[in-house]
Amino acid sequence: MAAQSSDAAVELRPTPGRGALRSRMDRLLVLVVLLAIWVALSATLGSYWVGSPWGVVTRLGIDLWSGIWHALAFLAGTGWTESALGLMTRPTNLASGGEILIHASYTLYEAVAGFLIGAIPAAALPFLLRRLPIVTAIIDPFMVGGYGAPKLALAPLFILWFGIGIESKIALVAITVFFIVYFSALAGIRALDAKLVQMAQVAGASERAVARHIVFPGAVPYIFTGFRIAMPYSIGGAVIAELISANRGLGYLIQLGAMNFDTTGVFVALVAVTCIVFVGNWSVDIVERWLLRWRPPADARAELKS
Amino acid sequence: MTAEPLLEVRDLGKRFAARAGRDAPAWVIQGLSFAVSDGEFLTIIGPSGSGKTTLLNMIAQIDTASSGTVRFQSEAAPINDAKSLNPGLSCKIGYVTQEDNLLPWRTTLQNVLFPLRVQGRLNDKTRAHAETLIKAVGLAGFESHYPHELSGGMRKRASLIRTLVYDPPVILMDEPFGALDAQTRVQLQEDLLRLWELGRKTIIFVTHDIAEAIALGDRTLVLSRAPAQVAGEHVITIARPRDIRGIMGHPEFGMLYQSIRAQVQ
Repeated sequence: MAAQSSDAAVELRPTPGRGALRSRMDRLLVLVVLLAIWVALSATLGSYWVGSPWGVVTRLGIDLWSGIWHALAFLAGTGWTESALGLMTRPTNLASGGEILIHASYTLYEAVAGFLIGAIPAAALPFLLRRLPIVTAIIDPFMVGGYGAPKLALAPLFILWFGIGIESKIALVAITVFFIVYFSALAGIRALDAKLVQMAQVAGASERAVARHIVFPGAVPYIFTGFRIAMPYSIGGAVIAELISANRGLGYLIQLGAMNFDTTGVFVALVAVTCIVFVGNWSVDIVERWLLRWRPPADARAELKS
Repeated sequence: MTAEPLLEVRDLGKRFAARAGRDAPAWVIQGLSFAVSDGEFLTIIGPSGSGKTTLLNMIAQIDTASSGTVRFQSEAAPINDAKSLNPGLSCKIGYVTQEDNLLPWRTTLQNVLFPLRVQGRLNDKTRAHAETLIKAVGLAGFESHYPHELSGGMRKRASLIRTLVYDPPVILMDEPFGALDAQTRVQLQEDLLRLWELGRKTIIFVTHDIAEAIALGDRTLVLSRAPAQVAGEHVITIARPRDIRGIMGHPEFGMLYQSIRAQVQ
C-alpha cells in the first residue's frame, strides 16, 4: 500500500563522538588545574591551614583498604583473617580502620531515609490535590513560607524534639527535601498539556486513566528536576545536623577534625561528602535517563547542562 | 439525504467568556445550521479565524455551545454547561486534531493502542487490527519509535490511525494535513480515502484548502468570516474511487473550485 513513505525517521541519539571526548578532556584539565591550586595552597600555607592532597588521599586510601579488609574478614569469618596471608596483607595503619566508611554510611543512611520520607509525600501531594484547586490555593502561602524558611535553623529544634540520634537528622533532611520536591511536582502538574487531556477524554479515557497515562508521565521530568536539586541538600542537611550535635557521621568527623586542629581530617570528610553527592547525582542521572528515554536528546542534554 | 440526519447542528452560536476590562466578546459563530447523514464525507472550508476548530470542539463536546442545538443521534449536547459535557460522546465521535497530540512518552504502537487500552478493549483481535492499520499507512518498522523520532508526516499518520483503530462511527478532522508538504499531503489524502472506502464512516473534515475539500468530500460547506455561518453548500458528484493526483483535470473540478473560491472571502 502506501509503504513508500517519502519522509524518513530522523536519526537520533548520536553516539558520544568527538564533542563528548573533548568535553571529557576539558573536564580533566579543569580537575588538574584545581588540584594544582590545592597543592600550591597547601604547600605555601602549610597543611595546618589547608590539608595536603596527598595526606587526604593516603588517609582515604588506608581507610577504604582497611574497610574492605574488615568487610572481607567479616564475610570470610575470623579464621581467614588470622591466617598468615591475612596478617601479611593486613593494613598497617589501623588507627582509622574503616572509620570514614562507617561515618559515611551513617550520613548516607540519614540522607537516603530523609530523602525518601520527604520526597515521596512531596511528589504525591500535588497529585492528590489536583482535583482540589481550592485546597492547593489555601496551603500555597504556607508552602511558600516553608520553602523559603531557612531549614537549617530548625536543626536545634529538631535536636530538642528528636534527640541527638539519627532521627533529628532524618527529620531535617526530610523537611528540606519536601518543599523542593513539592514545588517541582506542582510545576509539573501545572505544565500539563490540556490538549493531550482532551485527546484522551475523547478517546474514552476515564479520570483515572488520564491521571495515569498523561498527568503523571508529564510531571515526571519536573519531579526529577526536584530530585536533582534536593539530592545535594539531603546530604548537606544531614552533615549540618551532625555538625551541630552528633557522635557519628561525616559532619561529626568534620567537627572532630576541626576541634583537634586536624585540618587534613576535615578535608578527608569533605572529600567523602563530595563523593557521596557525586554518586547520588549519578544515580539520579541513571534513573532519570531510563525513565525519560522518550525525550528528545536535545532536551535531555539541555537538562544535563543546567 | 436520509430523513433523520446522524448529526444536526441548528442555529449554533458561540462566544467565549469575556475577560475583565474588555468589551463583551463578539460571536465567533452565529446562526450556523447544517446536517450530516450517515456515511457522508462532509468537508468544511472557511477563512482562518472563522471558528472551524471551535465548531468541531463543540461537536466533539470538548467545548460548550453558547446557543442553538447540536444533536447527535437525536441526543442534544448541553448548552452553556461545560460540566456536563461528554467528550467524544462515549467514543462515538473520534477527533483527529490539528496537532498530532501524540503522547511523547509512548511509542508509536503504544500511542495507536492508547484508545483501546483506556477503553478496556485491548485484545488479540483489536491488536491485530491496529497492526494492519500501521502497515496500511506505512508505519511498519517504526512501532517502537517515540514521537520525537518520527517525521511530521509519520506523526500525522499515527494520530490518524489512533482514531481509526477504535472505529468510532463519526470522525472529525481538523486540518489534519495542513502543516505537511504537498507530496506527503497527497499521499495521506489517498490513504485516508482508501481507508474510508473500506469502512464508509461519517467524516467531517475541516480544511482551508479548496482543492482538498473538493477532492475528498461528498459535500462541501463554505463558512463565512466570523461570526461564522454557512455561506455556501456544494454537492460534489465526482465519482469514487477518486484519483487525487489527477482530480484537477476533472471537468467538474474547475467549476466547483471557482464557485467555492468566490464564496471564501
